[in-house]
Amino acid sequence: MNHYPEIWGRPRDDIYGPYNSSYLQTTGPKTYTQSPAVTGTSVIAVKFNGGVAIVADNLASYGSLARFTDVKRLRVFSDSAVIGFSGDVSDMQYIHRLLGSIDIRENYSTHGNMLNAKNLHTYLSKVLYKRRSEFNPLWNHLLVAGFDEDKNPFLSSADLLGTTYSAPHLATGFGAHLAIPILRRLFPEEKPLEEITKEHAEAALRECLKVLWYRDARSLDKYSMAVITAEGIELKEDQVIGAQSWAFAESIKGYGAQIN
Amino acid sequence: MMSFMGNQPHNEAVGYSFSQPTYVPNKEHSFYPYTDNGGSTLGITGADFAILAGDTRSVAGYNINSRYAPKVFKIGGDDDTGEGAHILLSVVGFAADGQALKERLDAVVKMYKYQHGKSMSVRACAQRLSTILYQKRFFPYYVHAILAGLDEEGKGALYSYDPVGSYEREQCRAAGSAASLIMPFLDNQVNFKNQYIPGSGDGHALEPKKPEPLPRETVEQLVRDAFTSAVERHIEVGDGLQMIVITQNGIEEIYTPLKKD
Amino acid sequence: MTSIGTGYDLSNSVFSPDGRNFQVEYAAKAVENGGTAIGIRCEGGVVLAVEKIITSKLLKPDANKRIATVDRHVGIVSAGLVPDGRHFVSRARDEAASWRSVYKGPIPVSALSNRLGSYVQAYTLYSSVRPFGVTAIVGGWDSEAELAVDGQVGSGPKLGSGGKVDGAKAGGPGLYMIEPSGLYWGYHGAATGKGRQAAKAELEKLDLSSGNLSLIDAVKEAARIIYVAHEDSKDKEFELEMSWVSSLDGPTHGRHEEVPRQLLEEAEKAAKKALEGEDDDEEEEQEETKDSGNSGERMEE
Repeated sequence: MNHYPEIWGRPRDDIYGPYNSSYLQTTGPKTYTQSPAVTGTSVIAVKFNGGVAIVADNLASYGSLARFTDVKRLRVFSDSAVIGFSGDVSDMQYIHRLLGSIDIRENYSTHGNMLNAKNLHTYLSKVLYKRRSEFNPLWNHLLVAGFDEDKNPFLSSADLLGTTYSAPHLATGFGAHLAIPILRRLFPEEKPLEEITKEHAEAALRECLKVLWYRDARSLDKYSMAVITAEGIELKEDQVIGAQSWAFAESIKGYGAQIN
Repeated sequence: MMSFMGNQPHNEAVGYSFSQPTYVPNKEHSFYPYTDNGGSTLGITGADFAILAGDTRSVAGYNINSRYAPKVFKIGGDDDTGEGAHILLSVVGFAADGQALKERLDAVVKMYKYQHGKSMSVRACAQRLSTILYQKRFFPYYVHAILAGLDEEGKGALYSYDPVGSYEREQCRAAGSAASLIMPFLDNQVNFKNQYIPGSGDGHALEPKKPEPLPRETVEQLVRDAFTSAVERHIEVGDGLQMIVITQNGIEEIYTPLKKD
Repeated sequence: MTSIGTGYDLSNSVFSPDGRNFQVEYAAKAVENGGTAIGIRCEGGVVLAVEKIITSKLLKPDANKRIATVDRHVGIVSAGLVPDGRHFVSRARDEAASWRSVYKGPIPVSALSNRLGSYVQAYTLYSSVRPFGVTAIVGGWDSEAELAVDGQVGSGPKLGSGGKVDGAKAGGPGLYMIEPSGLYWGYHGAATGKGRQAAKAELEKLDLSSGNLSLIDAVKEAARIIYVAHEDSKDKEFELEMSWVSSLDGPTHGRHEEVPRQLLEEAEKAAKKALEGEDDDEEEEQEETKDSGNSGERMEE
């Protein structure tokens, strides 16, 4: 017993070691998210005659750990749009709830929800831009698929900086490197949309997923695909890429240490 | 209490841990709020017209995001068609900031008309744009803007800006990733720099060719030439050329393809 | 009514010596003049209906809705002062949204009614406010499916620890009525407004507690009851407005929606026919009485 009441009952450094208070950040600037934690990889989408098809695999990675393997990264908004999320999963959940509350508010009126995919994309890009301007980004890159006000197929992208762009085929993450060249070859931008069928688009996206499965270490063979047409949204969440094989690797010659 | 205790150990054999401010070295933010979306823009004025042009490619590093992402906008007109606009704005650099800037200026020009019952002059708009940019002096809109229209006398007016609002009126200006390729060409072809009147004298007595406003056809061809050349030498420029011409008779938009390689 | 005129009825939050809050009672009077509103709760869902008196020919037909959607799965209809009803609905929407932001899921109808009851009750406590001039009927469907958290990414373990329990029952229809005093009860069938007495009598005949009424029949009964309740104010024209919320496998998939045009018209037609039938009976009876020598007062009809 000593004469310092404030140290009574405290762990003694000689027994427990000094308390490591380094995690208590008391100096330095206030910071928000500096890097994403649990992340989803590529989202890929193509426009076709009468609609848009979009895919994403069902994996959420924690660094290099395949953390969750049944994650739904395609989110449907009120039967009018599909949003594909890559990047931080918790930020995706936040945005999903944000969209849920908008949908509820839209449905207060008897007209129902009148926001189309284009409106939704504009809104989301502004949310993302505002957050990046506050240095508190929502760490996502997303694709919005659906229709515009003239009922034409709509596909556009928005990222954590608020950058937006639109093209007949889009891909985020690794897909921008691996899927876009495939899609540009299959569907050159000069090619009229009328010549691309829904089946073409779906098959092309599956092909892209397979290539990504081979070469993107953060990808999975389980995926979700959504097809949005005038009839509505068809969402399949438990798809599997079939018939992969590394056997072809045996026949690759001319790279690395292999001599002949 | 803590102050007299301080962080000093008590005069006893054993020590205790108290929460104490720990020094964490200033960490650099790993979130960088800007990116460069590449591309180039260009504006030239004539006696009774102004042209603003830009390529339509949008890039992220070596990736092409889109082959059609316009950089030249009509300001103060209908949101969808641009009808009723009388000012043009081009933005190149960070596309998200460019978009935000364009929307702000558009709102300002519209509000001006609602409040004063007349269209904003290009001169006033130019000053206002400078103010908007400078208001974000310490977190700038990372764009090089060019504003174009017709001045009070009906002459072509062109204003160019740096990201924090410094601006001047010019005959012509190139901005963006290929600015350094295009600008010297413009100096020579629009302002006739390094052009002299043959036989007018020797050495310093050689008389420089006087710049004069160029006719519209000549300017359009200069713009095309500038961009086809820039496409050859700069990887971030290409896909399409968007040209918007403003004259007394209104605004005309011309799109021509560029090489997609 | 001994205390009336003694000043105890002038201020809210003041009891009269015999333990009554007159302001609350006067608020209830305001409700009694409103168009009849009813709710029917059955196995398959809940139906809300309201008699919307047409106060002016200049009003756009079918506009100016009186039934409000609060969240995806809840609707509210009220009788009494319309602006009070609007504010009440606004509060309900805020409560539902706040529940969502805390619990990441839809608010149970019971919890919403409880919060709204407390809110209305608070307006009986202060002299600076007046009580709500509405009685509101809250109808909704608590999802019977295992609820996903809003924004949830995976589907959880399929079996084993933390896995799903087969055959676990949850959710169902909810119907509550909140009065100006803040009093609220859960009901099988609720009625308020001008024609509530007639409506209640009709609701009782339906034997709702037996669970035999189908949702479609409930829609038709609701339409008929509004028509029956309107009998006493026949000189005024009215519009019938109806909404419903069904189970997940029902017609609205657990969402609160307007009753579709076609079904509404069908129900309205059946209601009119049922009423005409009654009138015919009455007239027949009348004929009989007339024959028996009584000079009919309703001859001019």
